[in-house]
Amino acid sequence: MITGGLDLGAGTIKGVLLEDGRRVLATASLPSRGIPVQAARRVLDELGETANIAPGDVDYLCTTGFGRYTIPERNLQVSDFTSSARGAVFLFPKTRLVVDIGTQASRTMSISETGKVLKFKMNEKCAAGAGRFVERCSKYLQVPLEEMGPKALASQHPKLISSVCAVLAETEIINNVAEGVPLPDILMGVFLSLSQRAYSLMRYVGVQPEVTLVGGLVRDVGMAKALHDTVGMDINVAPDAYYAAALGSAILGHSRLLKLTQAPRGTGG
Amino acid sequence: MSGIVAGVDIGSTTAKCVVLGADSRVLGKSLSVVGIDIVKDAERALEAALADAHLSRSDVSFITGTGYGRYKVYFGQLVVTEISCHARGANFLFPGTRLVVDIGGQDTKAIRTNEKGEVVDFAMNDKCAAGTGRFLDVCANALGYDVSEIGPLSLQARRAVKVTSTCTVFAESEVTSYVSRGKDPKDILAGLHASIANRTLSLMQRVGVEPEITFTGGVSQNQGMVRALQQRLGAPVNVSPLSQYLGALGAALHGRERLLGGAS
Repeated sequence: MITGGLDLGAGTIKGVLLEDGRRVLATASLPSRGIPVQAARRVLDELGETANIAPGDVDYLCTTGFGRYTIPERNLQVSDFTSSARGAVFLFPKTRLVVDIGTQASRTMSISETGKVLKFKMNEKCAAGAGRFVERCSKYLQVPLEEMGPKALASQHPKLISSVCAVLAETEIINNVAEGVPLPDILMGVFLSLSQRAYSLMRYVGVQPEVTLVGGLVRDVGMAKALHDTVGMDINVAPDAYYAAALGSAILGHSRLLKLTQAPRGTGG
Repeated sequence: MSGIVAGVDIGSTTAKCVVLGADSRVLGKSLSVVGIDIVKDAERALEAALADAHLSRSDVSFITGTGYGRYKVYFGQLVVTEISCHARGANFLFPGTRLVVDIGGQDTKAIRTNEKGEVVDFAMNDKCAAGTGRFLDVCANALGYDVSEIGPLSLQARRAVKVTSTCTVFAESEVTSYVSRGKDPKDILAGLHASIANRTLSLMQRVGVEPEITFTGGVSQNQGMVRALQQRLGAPVNVSPLSQYLGALGAALHGRERLLGGAS
């Protein structure tokens, strides 16, 4: 039984193909560039090629994320909270708190022992708590996005940012550059500012181990380090956590399909 | 003693200076961009206003600093918060003022005042660029206009496009996506101005909306913003070409009181 999970995020479309709800066959991602449907089709094609599976062989497709309603061929859609929590628990079964930092929103969910979402909190109103802030810093500091984290790790005395607004922080950061603050310290300051905002969301739902970081920024070593330092706790990080929401929706799709196929005939609706 | 006083208002984006005669006539004024060296910028602002008034430094009896960079006005004899200064300046130009709305480059304030131009209550947003001049700046850039063009253009809108993002960064992407969907920039601009008017109104409601309302700060020179605010309020607001200088004017007036030896 093969299920697909598609996460239509604000910045990137991520996809996962899953066999029997357990084995990951393929992962893929593409920037959405304002046309999520097209990017999603290409992600699906890429998944099929990697796993060597024809589109017709995908038994069930479950979407999640900001653009989950835009894909007509979906069988099911689930909320970002549910899917990224499910993906996090699959990767780290002892997860009790999930932190999902994406391009345009950050969210956190506390998880019960049975893997259910207990409480959640989200920031989608303000770019200061989201990946967009890092993207902007990368642009005006002229440091490629993928180098921001590795460079930040060299920081000795991180330069904290006092502004809580991504736009006002820009002025502050430029002033810091003008004053000769070393680049790694400025970069680590950016990640710390993000992790402090995530931490205040986390405290709202309750911080307890294990904490798992998922979403667009999980592959950024600077983000993982900053979150670890801010929370003062080990943070679960895995490369596949980038796909946590897509993975979670593929898993949820699989459970739904199982229920549907096992339901006695004639009672389905 | 000449009785001539000056007020220097160092904002986040611009420096304003007003030189006031003993008869309370504005003798000279200046407006300049603030850079990294605020101390120098403050001095230049004073020099420029003095040049405009055909006066020299020795003609001025008292100088007051205000605004975000007020502590960098080293040559002044007094420092007053911009909240008190805007209240006083607005009262001077429009004596019926009971509510001052100051939209500057980096923050927004609503100030309730009494008939003497004293501050009764105030609310402000200085945490976030949303609803400030900076928001308009960023969005003007995203649309490829200078910030001075967008007010008049917004007045030509036929149907305002609703802008839903509060955050400046998200609004920038929202604006860009409207452009790529073929929306008329004038309609987008009208939507942006309406969105700021909405935010401003909620700030005003925190201190109480009471006429007369006087609009001050750099953004008060934007006609589109004046109209959007009036539409949202359903009431007129006082604006004058001097509105941007009201902080500096208020500072000069505070200085005059100090010079004459009595608080009002």
